[in-house]
Amino acid sequence: MGVIVQTIGFGIAAGAVISLGAVGFTVQFGISNVLNITYGAFMTLAAYLGYALLSRGLDVWITLAVVGLALAVASLLFNRVFLAPLQRRGAGFVSLVIGTVAAGIILQGAIVILVGPGAITYGAQFDTTVSGLGFDFTVAQLVIIGLALALMLGLHVLLTRTKIGRAMRATSNNPTVARACGIRTSRITDVTWLLTGFLCGTAGVALAVTTVTFDFNLGSTFLIYMIAAAVLGGIGQPYGAMIGGLVVGIASQFGAAYWSPAYQDVVAFSILIAMLLIRPRGLFAAAGVNRRNLSAA
Amino acid sequence: MSGWEYYAVVLLVYFATFLISAWGLNLEFGVAGIPNFAYIVLVAAGAYTYSVLTLGPSSGNGGFQRYVLGATLPYPLAIVCAGAVSAVLGAVIGITGLKRLRPDYQAMAMLVVSITATTIVIADVGLVNGSAGLALIPNPLHSLGGGSRQAWGYVGMVFGVCALVYVVLRRFSSGPFGRLLRAMRDDEDAALAIGKNVVALRIAVQAVGGAMAGLSGALLVGFIGGWSPSAWLFIETMALLTAIIVGGMGNDWGVVAGTLIVPTLIVQGVQFLPTVGGNPELIPQLGWMILGLLTIAFLFFRPSGLIPERRPVSRVALPAAAPAVRTATFRVPEARAAADASDEILRVEGIRREFGGVRAVDGATFGVARGSITGLIGPNGAGKSTALGIVSGFVRATGGSVRFDGVDITARPPHRRARRGLVRTFQLPREFGSLTTLENLVVAAPHARSESALGVLGGRRYWGREEREITERARALLVLFQMEDKAFERARQLSGGQKRMLEVMRAVMAEPSLLLLDEPTAGLSPMLTERLGDACLELRDRGLSILLVEHELDTIDRLCDTVVVMVQGKVFAQGAMEDLRRSREVQEAYIAG
Repeated sequence: MGVIVQTIGFGIAAGAVISLGAVGFTVQFGISNVLNITYGAFMTLAAYLGYALLSRGLDVWITLAVVGLALAVASLLFNRVFLAPLQRRGAGFVSLVIGTVAAGIILQGAIVILVGPGAITYGAQFDTTVSGLGFDFTVAQLVIIGLALALMLGLHVLLTRTKIGRAMRATSNNPTVARACGIRTSRITDVTWLLTGFLCGTAGVALAVTTVTFDFNLGSTFLIYMIAAAVLGGIGQPYGAMIGGLVVGIASQFGAAYWSPAYQDVVAFSILIAMLLIRPRGLFAAAGVNRRNLSAA
Repeated sequence: MSGWEYYAVVLLVYFATFLISAWGLNLEFGVAGIPNFAYIVLVAAGAYTYSVLTLGPSSGNGGFQRYVLGATLPYPLAIVCAGAVSAVLGAVIGITGLKRLRPDYQAMAMLVVSITATTIVIADVGLVNGSAGLALIPNPLHSLGGGSRQAWGYVGMVFGVCALVYVVLRRFSSGPFGRLLRAMRDDEDAALAIGKNVVALRIAVQAVGGAMAGLSGALLVGFIGGWSPSAWLFIETMALLTAIIVGGMGNDWGVVAGTLIVPTLIVQGVQFLPTVGGNPELIPQLGWMILGLLTIAFLFFRPSGLIPERRPVSRVALPAAAPAVRTATFRVPEARAAADASDEILRVEGIRREFGGVRAVDGATFGVARGSITGLIGPNGAGKSTALGIVSGFVRATGGSVRFDGVDITARPPHRRARRGLVRTFQLPREFGSLTTLENLVVAAPHARSESALGVLGGRRYWGREEREITERARALLVLFQMEDKAFERARQLSGGQKRMLEVMRAVMAEPSLLLLDEPTAGLSPMLTERLGDACLELRDRGLSILLVEHELDTIDRLCDTVVVMVQGKVFAQGAMEDLRRSREVQEAYIAG
């Protein structure tokens, strides 16, 4: 019993970070209709930036804000300078994926050249353990869980209670109709890339803090977890991605505890492949809903 | 052997092995449109297969490496086995095509398969020695004794295999089979609609591409003597993709150019540069970055590559004088179930379909008389197109049944319905854009010899005559639709109206006994509408049955023998148009609905 509770605890902590990143990924997909593989490399960038600031003694919250804003701007530029022009040139779905993979390779290469290929050990700094309800969490994990909850709540309020949030949902749902209704979709697109870049940045810092050691491959591996969460929850749907992140986090921790830590990734990857083959619209998608995102043509 | 000689040999062997796998991936991705981002896994499978089949028992050499099998097969046999294993694995991966996901999702699924394979091979050390990988893999030419002779012998062997692979490859990537694969790439749904078994084609192509990957892997590992997960990371597939994009997607010679530039010079070439400073990753990472930049530059500025796919427009010998319409020989199949004397070719019974709570079709029942043109009319949102989708198999019914020629086909997939003679067109024209008008028609002929395994192996001698016959029939149709002057134009360059005409012709080429037309005159000029109407009447007179979704009442008056009126997902009335016109209820439903 103790092991199970403990595993769930680890899963929630891992899932919080996955959810944070996956929500950004899925909202970005909703607005751009592109599977942005570069997202993983951006997360690596955020992790290294976060590490650089924190190891210079900067406060965690300030670091989160600074890195979040930096990535928000980077993400906006990425869309303005790269992705949107490529789309305007009529690049097909696969060409766009290849383009984002290539951009990811360039970004990751730049990171390796700047900081070197060696692994960074960092997470130990927040290692004080807090126990309760049978769970043991490190302070860092609690901070991350709290942060994830706060950001999710903020996102929920934004999407449902504000004009700009409703405009974002409308644009994601059907950009043509949204434009016809007088929504300035280009501005909404900018806001979405800023917002999802911010989520990517905070998730990257969170990942750096909770992962004991990491190297330049951090984001590209973690990307698969985020995509798994996004697909599980129905791609383009932020609430689905939140729950999907938790499910993937807990499932992979169970894989590590009861099978082998070496297969932890395999569990998450298998969930993704199985979902794509069996139920590509996600667990919660009703038939016929969200067809724009998945029709074969 | 001198330094430069060694350098030259290494580059040549890398070039040839990369070329074989780049050709394989180009067949899958460039020609057939399958984004196989797991391709490098198939190369790796070939390399590992060759290794464990030639290394001998893993207890050898003091048992410093662990692996399965451990046989000592003759080298040629081991290389063939490597190709076979990768072919099977490729076909298995091809099954992912069953779900017909959007292509970028397929790419992502493949990417994950690739990373998962790496993770598993690293985690399961007993399989092929984990992340340390295999070493001391024997060179198939080691009997030549090290030195220059062995090295240049290897170059000769690899280039020999390359030439052989090219000959086989062209059987798939050019000619009628290449045309079929390009049709599938350009529009998978349209290929299904004319009766092509898309899933089987994909699996076949991925098996062929897989075999090439396996060969390439075996030849590479036989040369370098070692193989580990770091040699086949996902990024290596990107190198192959970049070579294809730079060279020209779908063009076998473009791939040769791309392979010269990309993997050989950049990825492998930079590894011979000296290491700078304390960062051993600097040089390889720079290589990858150049690769990424090159990809992006080409995607932006020259997406069709250095040597674009410019297939020769096959100006097959056509009869000098256009055949008269009356003597034109295109087939309309005989009624298949003559016993079914009810003379209804199609019977739709209570079909239903909901989209997230909206009942698009709600228990519709109607029939189509053999040899008639039946119109399906109704206000917007009445469920006409959905009903047509259910009849053709593209939309799954949530209830009810569809009987065609006396056979219940409710559960049959679309391509099998088309093969039985139930062929549809789409509301928005879906042409095979890279094929010419004539090729669009020829590719639609069912059961062509050139599409069979024998046809691919036998070549022109096996299918040449039939191909000419099919071309004649296509020509006759072009005359009937008055489009002969567009025969050699690429379909993507046709006007909207011409594309529509093309689609109807293509459907007729698939030898239907019942043709389903979804708003064929939408957006057509009055002249083309007239022409299409003439052609439909002519086809009916020769025994073809037609079910036609239509809005234009004039067209319906002119063409339709019977009319089915749908309102709110249900069939409201069925009968002759003049009777229905007098019915006040129909008038109200149609106008008010």
